[in-house]
Amino acid sequence: MHESAGERPREGARAEPSRRFSPGAVLRAPFTARAWAEVAYCLIGFPLTVVGTVLVLVLLALGTGLTASLVGTVLGLALVVAAVGLARGCAAVHRRLAQGLLGERADAPPRLLPTGKAFARLDARLRDAAGWRSVAYVLVKLPVAAFGLYAVGWWLTALLNLSAPLRWAVFHQRPAAGEAGMPTITPIPFGGGAPHSTSFAGTFVAAAIGVVTLLAAPWFTRGVVAVDRWLIRALLGPGQLAERVRSLEESRALAVDDSAALLRRLERDLHDGAQVRLVALAMSLDMAKERLGRDGEPVADPARVRQLVDTAHRNATEALAELRDLARGIHPPALDDGLSDALSTLAARSTVPVELSVDVTQRPTPAIETIAYFCAAELLTNVIKHSGARRTVLRVAQEDGLLRLRVTDDGRGGATLGAGSGLTGLQQRVRTVDGRLDVSSPSGGPTAVTVELPLHA
Amino acid sequence: MRIVIAEDAAVLRELLAQMLTERGHEVCAAVPDGDTLLAAVAEHRPDVTVVDIRMPPTHTDEGLRAAIGIRREHPGTGVLLFSQYIETKYATRLLAAGSAGVGYLLKDRVANVAEFTDSLSRVAAGGTALDPEVVTQLAGASRRGDDLESLTAREREVLALMAEGRTNAAIAQTLVVSAGTVEKHVAAVFGKLALPASEDANRRVLAVLRYLES
Repeated sequence: MHESAGERPREGARAEPSRRFSPGAVLRAPFTARAWAEVAYCLIGFPLTVVGTVLVLVLLALGTGLTASLVGTVLGLALVVAAVGLARGCAAVHRRLAQGLLGERADAPPRLLPTGKAFARLDARLRDAAGWRSVAYVLVKLPVAAFGLYAVGWWLTALLNLSAPLRWAVFHQRPAAGEAGMPTITPIPFGGGAPHSTSFAGTFVAAAIGVVTLLAAPWFTRGVVAVDRWLIRALLGPGQLAERVRSLEESRALAVDDSAALLRRLERDLHDGAQVRLVALAMSLDMAKERLGRDGEPVADPARVRQLVDTAHRNATEALAELRDLARGIHPPALDDGLSDALSTLAARSTVPVELSVDVTQRPTPAIETIAYFCAAELLTNVIKHSGARRTVLRVAQEDGLLRLRVTDDGRGGATLGAGSGLTGLQQRVRTVDGRLDVSSPSGGPTAVTVELPLHA
Repeated sequence: MRIVIAEDAAVLRELLAQMLTERGHEVCAAVPDGDTLLAAVAEHRPDVTVVDIRMPPTHTDEGLRAAIGIRREHPGTGVLLFSQYIETKYATRLLAAGSAGVGYLLKDRVANVAEFTDSLSRVAAGGTALDPEVVTQLAGASRRGDDLESLTAREREVLALMAEGRTNAAIAQTLVVSAGTVEKHVAAVFGKLALPASEDANRRVLAVLRYLES
């Protein structure tokens, strides 16, 4: 019944087209826009790297030296700060280059705007973690950029060798008598000379070497660029702490939105439901009172009065039912006795049979229980409304310090996470407490939705 | 009276139509949203419309916008807005183009069907019917608190009733006093607040509201 975890689509498991090796892909590689963009990246990146690295290194060396000499400490520290600032600038250039040519997005770390007295500002600038990571990038980038330039060299030698027959036949670049022959250029700087072409037929050997080099060049370039991509992600991003802050800010915004949306829905439900019923109730009672006339007078139209009282009674009953549903929607009373009792009540009310198993040894905090309950309620409602399932299984278990809630059904599948989907709303609510929600719902079914929540909010 | 009702809650819409029909009025149409309201008004040319403010599709101020449209295109048709909350902002927008033939009541007021129908007749006849709540809110927020303090309790009652759009005769009836007494109170209020004296109930409403708003 349980699908293996491997069936679940996981973030980051998207297969990039480039990862698929096939003979066609190998042959096409030199002619793809991606390969050329990577060559351009290596070509433009190299001079920028050399200039940046040299300047940063010089500033750092001077700064460190002066600082250590004790005489020029202040100037030295200022130079170090300048080096870090310059590295940040270089990092920004490389980030833009990578984004433009490689599509590699690294969000810039927040700008450093220290305030306070001079010493505090200096202190903040020297402790600028993102700045020092930029320094690291700029320094490590130099050998990578050198390899990049070398990779571009492969493309050049490939083209030169490929053109050997052309050069021989059309441009008459033939060796004079007694010379060793037309040289074949090799991209590998060791291992002896490549064969020299001494005849027109011989130039085709050079051309063959050119073809092989041309086919290998994009993969070599890609390898170098891959290392660079990894460095960019590791060193030029906003950093783990900043990432965490951003994610917390996002989930806080979600939590605030969620509670605002909840209140708005409550107001709307009251406005369109119970309030209307009560106005109608009061109105029909007043109409009935008018019909009853004064004390002692005969009642003009008893049948109509009965009808009006009937209307009033119906509206009162409806208002009561709506208020009860609303109250339960705010906080299900059964939840006070634990998730197990609340989910039993929920499962019993479902029109699709629910096989329920709850295995919770340590009670989660009330907020987590409430979120788990509303997830279960919403997921069961989805099963009833959309899946056409005949039966559904609701399992709640505590594993690895997490509360795992899983709803599976044998319905038609096709549930998606996306704009306007009820599941997205659930996912947002779950994320407010650092939980996660996964959906596996191939067309034709079965559907499995898994919600993982921490035990403490 | 010939009436068009716009209210999205079916329960209330039907009950209103029943009530008005039973009282001898003609309900030409009872519709659930602003667009059909405008169409119905253009078709039936009613004396007055009863309009819920929050209606589909956005459930914000459809009714108010429809009401302003009706006032512009069919000045002969009175508009009585009703809703579950009173927003002075809405009252101000509604009254911007004058107070003749407009009303704004809390939905709760239909619980007193006789008084509600009276207000509706007043609006149909080109008068004004403002919920006491509008007046209370304006007076509460008014920076003229000191001036209002100078009024006697009875004068303040008269001021509130004037702001609701009642004529001197209606005020006399509500307070169970003679018409002469009401005139005396009205004159005192105008004098103390330095308002332009006017016998016309509609112009009086605007004068009092502007005074309270400022």
